[in-house]
Amino acid sequence: MSIDFRKIEDNLKKEARRLLEAQKVSLVLAYGKGFDENHPMPFVARNVSDVDCIVFNEYCSANLARYLVRYPRGTKIAVAVKAADSRTVVQLIQEDKVKREDLVILGIPVYGMKDPKTGEVIDNKTTCGLYNPVLYDVLLGEEVHGQPVLSPYDVLAEYEAMDQDARWAFWQKEFERCIRCYACRKACPMCYCDPCFIDQNKPRWGEKSPELPGNLMFHLTRFHHLAGRCIDCGECSRACPMDIPLYLFHKKIAKECEEMFGQAAGMKIEDKPVLINFRMEDSDKILE
Amino acid sequence: MSFEPKILGIACNWCTYTGADLAGTTRLQYPQNIRVVRVMCSSRINPSFIFRAFQLGADGVLVGGCHPGDCHYNTGNLYARRRLAVAKKILEFVGMEPGRFRVEWISASEGNKFAEVVTEFTAQIQSLGPQTKFKIQP
Repeated sequence: MSIDFRKIEDNLKKEARRLLEAQKVSLVLAYGKGFDENHPMPFVARNVSDVDCIVFNEYCSANLARYLVRYPRGTKIAVAVKAADSRTVVQLIQEDKVKREDLVILGIPVYGMKDPKTGEVIDNKTTCGLYNPVLYDVLLGEEVHGQPVLSPYDVLAEYEAMDQDARWAFWQKEFERCIRCYACRKACPMCYCDPCFIDQNKPRWGEKSPELPGNLMFHLTRFHHLAGRCIDCGECSRACPMDIPLYLFHKKIAKECEEMFGQAAGMKIEDKPVLINFRMEDSDKILE
Repeated sequence: MSFEPKILGIACNWCTYTGADLAGTTRLQYPQNIRVVRVMCSSRINPSFIFRAFQLGADGVLVGGCHPGDCHYNTGNLYARRRLAVAKKILEFVGMEPGRFRVEWISASEGNKFAEVVTEFTAQIQSLGPQTKFKIQP
């Protein structure tokens, strides 16, 4: 079975048209044409006439849930989501950034998406490894079954096996290359703080020049801020112009959080994010 | 000259800081390598404090809070426990020696424990040597 992208695109257009015509939503977040086929861009359809510009193909890897927090609260929004993106929506609802009743979630079950930059297939290595959205109102296509279920954490084994000095050498090399363009922060659906801690001058948390100490401060603190919230969409790494494998660190922290607190990010609306929650039975072992 | 580590101690006002006070008033000896900063609760501690301390030259960071369940604000240290556990995992994965960061629950009546923990932690940092990975080189 392969994914019929054409059919999903038609369904997406049909749904968008229906919702906009009935004025159920004031905007539809979907994908539009970029400068060529391989570079679709996030697209906001506000009128019925915009609907024809919607496209969907295997390069539509962007996480549209990123744009939900940009609109005032109470704006009725329809958003097209893939598996990881639907977890984003769930996580944003948990954090009360958006309300469930304001959203129409158009779920897209899909696999074999490609990175527009490299053309490589995005698999469980760089994203969460799910195929079906966890939360949706309308499903635009058939649910994916029979695909191998892969753990998103397999890729970590290689790095966990390194000794700490080798790991330090690896991350030092990676973070030294960071040019502090903040594309990771801009692409991340969970990074919505205004102002970001690194932009603050009082206190000044870290150096702003693109050198190792400031880079380290920015990235490590960002990893902590996303602990238990990162839904593993991999957008940070795809957005990175220097190809720093940020997803590895996020995966590691997500894995640890899941092991320590027994809850993965963005799976159920009723859950509370792990770091704003606690249990009396939490063991002191987690601190060792 | 032997290596004298710089240790940042972040102590909660109600338990560990009072415990440190008790260690002082009962004239217990412990190494002077620790510099104690008082915060109102262990959940006041932003993980960035820890990263920043290492960058500004600390060789070790010791965080002290009330025993779980005994927090002056009822639940502060329970949040802090989760938060600091994640900070510890981050330090570990980036390649910092895990022994340089430690969290201890020390109550106001445990002056002895405070002195013991500081002695033990200082010895541990001394054996690890100076912290060079995070430190900003002038």
